[in-house]
Amino acid sequence: MVDSRRLDLLDPAEVARLGGIEIVAQGVVEGFLAGIHRSPFRGFSVEFTEHRAYQPGDELRYLDWKILARADRLFVKQFEEETNLRAMILLDASRSMAWRGDPARLTKRGYADRLVAALALILLRQRDATGLMTFDEAVRQVIPARVKAGQWTRLVRGLIDTPDGLGTAAETALRQLAGLLARRGLVVLVSDLLLDRGLALTALRYLRHRGHQVIVLHVMDPAELELAGPPEVRFRDPESAASVVVRPRELAGAYAATVRREIAGWRAACRRHGVAYHHIRTDMPFGMALRLLA
Amino acid sequence: MTFLHPLALLGLAAAAIPALLHLLERRTPPEAEFPPLRYLRDAERQSARRLRLRHLLLLILRTALVAVIVLAAARPILPTRVGGGSGGSGRGPTAVHAPTALAVVLDNSLSASAVVDGRPVLDRLKALARASLAQAAPGDRLWLVLADGVARAGSREALLASVDGATATPQRLDLVPAVGGAARLVAAEPLPAREVHVLSDLQRTALGAGSVDVPGVAELVLAPPARVPANRGVAAARAGDGGLTIAVSGTPGASAAPLVARVQPPGSAPARAREVGRTLAAPGQSVTLPLPPLAPGWWIGEVLLDADELRGDDRRLFVVRVAAPASVTAEADVGPFLSAALAVLRVARRVVVGGEIAIGERLGAARSIVLPPGDPALLGQVNRALAARGVRWHFGPPGPPGTLASADLAMVRGVQVNRRYRLEGTEGDSGVVASVNGEPWLVRDGGVVLLGSRLDTTWTALPGAPGFVPFVDALANRIARGEAPVAEAVGAPRLQFFTRGADTVGATVFGPDPRESDLTPATPDEVRRAFPGARLLDEAGLAAERFAATRRADVSGLLLGFALLLAAIELAVASMSR
Repeated sequence: MVDSRRLDLLDPAEVARLGGIEIVAQGVVEGFLAGIHRSPFRGFSVEFTEHRAYQPGDELRYLDWKILARADRLFVKQFEEETNLRAMILLDASRSMAWRGDPARLTKRGYADRLVAALALILLRQRDATGLMTFDEAVRQVIPARVKAGQWTRLVRGLIDTPDGLGTAAETALRQLAGLLARRGLVVLVSDLLLDRGLALTALRYLRHRGHQVIVLHVMDPAELELAGPPEVRFRDPESAASVVVRPRELAGAYAATVRREIAGWRAACRRHGVAYHHIRTDMPFGMALRLLA
Repeated sequence: MTFLHPLALLGLAAAAIPALLHLLERRTPPEAEFPPLRYLRDAERQSARRLRLRHLLLLILRTALVAVIVLAAARPILPTRVGGGSGGSGRGPTAVHAPTALAVVLDNSLSASAVVDGRPVLDRLKALARASLAQAAPGDRLWLVLADGVARAGSREALLASVDGATATPQRLDLVPAVGGAARLVAAEPLPAREVHVLSDLQRTALGAGSVDVPGVAELVLAPPARVPANRGVAAARAGDGGLTIAVSGTPGASAAPLVARVQPPGSAPARAREVGRTLAAPGQSVTLPLPPLAPGWWIGEVLLDADELRGDDRRLFVVRVAAPASVTAEADVGPFLSAALAVLRVARRVVVGGEIAIGERLGAARSIVLPPGDPALLGQVNRALAARGVRWHFGPPGPPGTLASADLAMVRGVQVNRRYRLEGTEGDSGVVASVNGEPWLVRDGGVVLLGSRLDTTWTALPGAPGFVPFVDALANRIARGEAPVAEAVGAPRLQFFTRGADTVGATVFGPDPRESDLTPATPDEVRRAFPGARLLDEAGLAAERFAATRRADVSGLLLGFALLLAAIELAVASMSR
């Protein structure tokens, strides 16, 4: 049951308690679209092919103003597959994504599942072919991009059926994805980016080289931004056996600086390679996260 | 360095506690999952040097903190020249000292009650004595010497109570013997240090003669005050035949001050006292006020000076004994001059006719004034009668002429004696009232008075002298009857009467020592002459030099302060998050 309030602007954990991924995503998308009144992804990554004479009812934004100015004739621009964008969403399902710093919050994976479902629903509603690939240390689930009815249900089922993995190997998934996308399209990577940055950036750069538009959503729990805990604690990496004993209070400053530097590093590297980068906290309302993509 | 509680140093083992706690704490830290471990490692790598330094600093601070607290608990003692208050005054280290024999000479004589700068000098001296005794430690031997010269041994608390209870006394403290006695007392003590603290206004008159220098004893003498007020005091007041003689003492050169004499009738209340004279007198002067005719009896009187800074010497008591007229019978052979004098005295009601006193060449039955017989052949008879009565004097051979001398009878002094018999006694000069050429001329033994000359102008010029009638008056009323003695003594102003049966036979008048009135302080040279080995110190110097020879400081307070500083630094370092 969907709350009558704007679910896209509520606390993610509170929204998640309303039902399963489908219900939450639908509610979020409804609220999100009602808030912006039109699709934010219209004409997204389409290719111009030719002009044709303007017919009444055509949208004025496709009118070619240069021809109108030069020849005083009305032509509209014709686009290739203008209603059939191919979007693939890559979701990091590694063990680190199944973590949360506070039981009252969603895990990074739980947040990412709902965000991905909402994003897919938006894309599918505007007739964009949307697919999903989940991965951990290997590719776990691949749902090719389609626009036919029931695609969103399949995507959601794919999210649900993907268990929490162990390690993270994003570059493998990204390279495999490049093989799946025959034409230029949209690639959205949703991950906590606790992976080899060099390898991942190489793979992202490869996708950009193939002409794809790439968006990276860096999901982080707020507890990963500020170090806290008992006076002394042994922290263990859930993806490996590695552990380290620290005193959070005395290391908090240096840690926060390191995290800020890491985020800035990702942001700069992505910008350098033409990749859009967005940092998303798991306590951020879904609507705000989606608006980052608009 | 020594420690008052060396066993507490065992606690230094506790300095290992911080390191042990650190190690124990590291053994079982709680465990938690944390995905961004790589960030944590990066942060740790970057902060490793700083953290290692911080941990080391904290370990050092905590270890030092425990060690300093343990050291403070052991009460370390260091030699120092810095003075300290008893029991710690809160400023600087607390001073302690080696066991010391200490005698405090507190001059609470009358002069110490003078008010200088609005405060009695004695208050200042008592405060200094208190300070000296308050710094005494349990191992010290203590004495307190007051103006009575008695060295009181006792505990610190007992002597402090004595100091608190000390008031100015009329007695004079002879400082040199008092300090000498105190110095010899402390010198006899087998202790590492010996001190005598002399707290006095150092009157010049208190020093007297002699000097004190006892080896091995540190004499700390409070310097005399730079300024003292000019003072006047009644040094003496004595009633005599010539009236009331008043002596004034005090600061030499001080101006004269008004004084008044009052007498109180026998047996009456002080309120009935009446003024009998008023005059001006300066220190060093002696004045005589005539006394009006007084009825027989013991009159109590007082001489009062205007109030000044030293009130204790502004009043002095005296007594006047007025006897009833003597009843005298003169034989026919006494001569015309004596008969005429007695007639004058009878008219003046100084004597009456009666049998109390017989005057003549022969010994009477009662009191007798015996003149040498005109016939030398009768001398033997008279001497035998004297011997039979038990009189220790008798007439001897004629003596050479000369002039009269007498301490008691001023009216006969210098009067020529042409002819006389020597008066010879068996027990020296006892009973001699007047003499000629140093030989007895007028003697008294019991109720018998012997004269060496007849009272005739062929024997002596006395009958022709102005003092002849007063001499006869004194002879009858005082010498033959015997005087009731009036003694003077030093003490709180008061009178003490001596009685025999219902009769008052004597009195003692108590008053302050007149030397206390001169407040002039001794010069430093005079002090150094009296106390050659002493150090002359002002109050600050005295505070610094008390127990200075063996003074040591308990630095536990400083260590605790240092521990607080360490704790504050430790807190600051531990609170630093970056």
